[in-house]
Amino acid sequence: MDNRLCNTHVKLLAFDLLSLTQTPSFSDPISFSRKGILLSRLETVGVVTSRDLKPNKFLKFTVDDGTGCITCILWLNHLNSPYFSRRHPSDVRLIANAADRFAAHVKLGVVARVRGRITSFRGELQITVSDVVIERDPNAEILHWLDCVRLARNCYDVVASQRK
Amino acid sequence: MASSAIKSGALVALRDLHPSSQYYSQGTSLRVTGKLQEYSVETAIAIIADGSANLKINTQHIRDLNFRVGSIYQFIGELLIHTDNEAVLQARVGRNVDGMDLNLYHQSLRLLKQFQANQ
Repeated sequence: MDNRLCNTHVKLLAFDLLSLTQTPSFSDPISFSRKGILLSRLETVGVVTSRDLKPNKFLKFTVDDGTGCITCILWLNHLNSPYFSRRHPSDVRLIANAADRFAAHVKLGVVARVRGRITSFRGELQITVSDVVIERDPNAEILHWLDCVRLARNCYDVVASQRK
Repeated sequence: MASSAIKSGALVALRDLHPSSQYYSQGTSLRVTGKLQEYSVETAIAIIADGSANLKINTQHIRDLNFRVGSIYQFIGELLIHTDNEAVLQARVGRNVDGMDLNLYHQSLRLLKQFQANQ
């Protein structure tokens, strides 16, 4: 499968993201593709419409971009997760502090720009968050829609058509 | 962490929200935008308008939002249609969007719907 967009944070609208093809594998994590093109990272912009905080574990929130809702998971367990125990403690502290800061900014009704990895939990697609920016410009979401439409037509669909 | 039961608020211009519209049905989740015409602290009912169209918004569940007549607001919630056919949006979230370019918003909305329909 074509992996040219694999290291890019693709800008997809929620309805487009939620219709990605999920391919399970025995040895590797599930892969996600759109029109035969592998995708692994995403950037979305939308209104935060739900927020469920499990302190020191995770913040699960929903971003509604007007075309669908995307479930986002922001891990907050860096300081007690064995996954991070191999990394330098000061690096882990920095990552944990950033995640705490992002979690504090994610409130109901704000417009958030979220970047992260496309993952799946119990078959449902979600974003494992790497960073969050709260948008103050009331036109930010509109410009994101236009970006998504332009990129889908002029880039992602073109890459897909070159594959055929 | 299955996809939550939270429904996406379909983007709709107030002028397109009339009794014969596909969006005008009980419980539909919508996202609406308009200029605040009236707000009652007692009832928490706001009226927003866009051109000649307007809509009542029940804001009783909204916190931390200051209501200023003349400012532009955006709400996401569910449409409640009363027996007299009057519609009220039961808002879940709301925000002030003063500075939003409403012409750009409406044009982009049309492009977005076209794009969605063609996918």
